[in-house]
Amino acid sequence: MMDQPAFNHGQTMAFLELQALNKRYNAVVAVEDFNLSIQRGEFVSLLGPSGCGKTTTLQMIAGFTQPTSGSIMLNGRDLGAIPARKRGLGIVFQTYALFPHMTVEQNVGFGLEMRNVPSHERRRRVSDALDLVHLSHLGDRFPRHMSGGQRQRVALARALVIEPELLLLDEPLSNLDAKLREEMQLELRRIQQEAGVTTLLVTHDQSEAMALSDRVAVMQSGRLIQEDSPFDVYEKPATSFISTFLGKTNSLPALLERAGKRTQIVIDDVRLAGPQTVLANGPVELSLRPERIELTDIDKATLSGDVIERVFLGDHWLFRVETPIGKLLVMQRNLGRRGAEIGERLHLFWEPEAMRLLPRGDVS
Amino acid sequence: MNRNGLFALCFNALFALFMMGPLIVVIGVSFTPTGYLEFPPSAISFRWFRAILDNPDFIDAAWISLELGLASASLSTVLAVPAALAIGRERFRGRDALQALFLSPLTVPTVVLGVAFLRFLSLFDINGTFVGLVLCHAVIVTPFVLRLVLASVTGVDRSIEMAATSLGASHWTVFRRVTLPLILPGVVGGWVLAFITSFDELTVTVFIVNPSTTTLPVRLFSHITQTTDPLVASISTMVILLTVLLMLAVNRLYGLDRLLIGGEAR
Ligand SMILES: Nc1ncnc2c1ncn2[C@@H]1O[C@H](COP(=O)(O)OP(=O)(O)OP(=O)(O)O)[C@@H](O)[C@H]1O
Ligand SMILES: [Mg+2]
Repeated sequence: MMDQPAFNHGQTMAFLELQALNKRYNAVVAVEDFNLSIQRGEFVSLLGPSGCGKTTTLQMIAGFTQPTSGSIMLNGRDLGAIPARKRGLGIVFQTYALFPHMTVEQNVGFGLEMRNVPSHERRRRVSDALDLVHLSHLGDRFPRHMSGGQRQRVALARALVIEPELLLLDEPLSNLDAKLREEMQLELRRIQQEAGVTTLLVTHDQSEAMALSDRVAVMQSGRLIQEDSPFDVYEKPATSFISTFLGKTNSLPALLERAGKRTQIVIDDVRLAGPQTVLANGPVELSLRPERIELTDIDKATLSGDVIERVFLGDHWLFRVETPIGKLLVMQRNLGRRGAEIGERLHLFWEPEAMRLLPRGDVS
Repeated sequence: MNRNGLFALCFNALFALFMMGPLIVVIGVSFTPTGYLEFPPSAISFRWFRAILDNPDFIDAAWISLELGLASASLSTVLAVPAALAIGRERFRGRDALQALFLSPLTVPTVVLGVAFLRFLSLFDINGTFVGLVLCHAVIVTPFVLRLVLASVTGVDRSIEMAATSLGASHWTVFRRVTLPLILPGVVGGWVLAFITSFDELTVTVFIVNPSTTTLPVRLFSHITQTTDPLVASISTMVILLTVLLMLAVNRLYGLDRLLIGGEAR
């Protein structure tokens, strides 16, 4: 390795490398042994419940928080020795953090001013950035005269105009109402792709993480517990914590048994054909997504049960059904027919492979 | 439709009258042609305003008060802004003690302060000097500035400053371009309040002036202990006039309600 040229060494490394990152506040461990690699141009989400250390991780990359140990490499540079103001990262804060005493143009131009960009070039780049976020007509406004979504875009433009190597977003959409949030998700994805900037987003909203990112990194109590594509994180959660945190699921304790090649799931007195698994026989955690359960006729049913609760959500129904293996959440798409009433008997069917088996007893 | 009932209107009118009454009396008295305090004046005369010009020691005293107010308000602002930034947002050992120290002049009786200052200044042999006065007044008015600045500091979102830092601004630039503009209402408000407090201060100042540094309140006070002519009234009227002009100017430049009630930075 010693005689390899330097550029080769650089190629083997990802664009952003977090290595064995730790942050402790006295007794509190905020981030523990955190490793993550992000490729150039990638959009990665850091997803986890409140207090799991997402902001702390982001702030360490930004340089506002000093790691207790570990290293942060960006494009081959060690950021550890570089102060926050010289890291050249674009950051969008949860509260937008616009300068209230400056107009939109002044806000967006601030970073260029700090870089001593001549004023004519500054004007051009500010107007390009405002074009990108569709706000060219509001350059003279003060932030307090703008809506939440508009402020959000100003904050994005301000972060992007300095052409950062890395864009950091801390819960950028959590202050918006649900409808605007969905719009801004699409908008954010478009802007990120147009700017082609490597992006790390922090969020506790699983739908936001899945909608936006190439890769989702799930955090729990300061640790990274899974990183995968949104589809794989959802379909192949590594722990039962992830399966319940991402979307809805029926999580049941079960017993795994093998009869020859085939597996069997035992819950109370009920035996079901099980999925392929590498897990050993014994107690497991079963995860079954409500959208994988179909309504069918009695002769094809895996199990039957009575509806004890139902919720209508426009595009689908959500039923809670009392079955021999426990209460199951069942989703049914709304196809314009009336949904089952409470007390009605439903016959449920699912493929054995729809059941995901996870080792029992992990923290959740 | 009348939003205020008769009772409320009467109450407010009486309250305003009660607040304004002394000022009206003082202004009225200052126009009297007689040699004694007369209200309402029997005729309108500028006799006692002309008399101010014949008493240059009052004019000197007014200048001293003005310079003292400017100097002590500015000095206390320079001290209180960094103190407020540290107290308002950092967590360090001795933070509560520091805040208590800065606010303590409010809790010590002014007479006690006066005696203490007298002894203290004598130790350094600067008793009665202008510098001594400035230092003492700065101590007295700092709590006012600190409280107003502290209130605006705690209202500033730290992430706004982080944003500026991430965009490449140095500590000093962040302070000058972001923090200071955001806390400016508190700073200006504190300064004005400090100036007025210093200009007006009597109890402590009496202990520490000498004939060459006598302030206007002290000069007026010693004048009325000897005679009671309407000269005091005409000088007071001039002070009221100047204050009104100052307030109008501040209002024009800045908006008084924003200053006194507080509000969002522009
Ligand atoms: N300055 C600090 N001093 C002490 N503990 C801290 C400090 N900052 C964060 N922590 C702790 O570290 C842990 C992680 O905090 P962090 O802000 O990173 O969480 P988060 O994942 O961003 O949560 P949220 O979704 O609520 O923003 C929390 O338990 C928090 O209490
Ligand atoms: Mg956070």
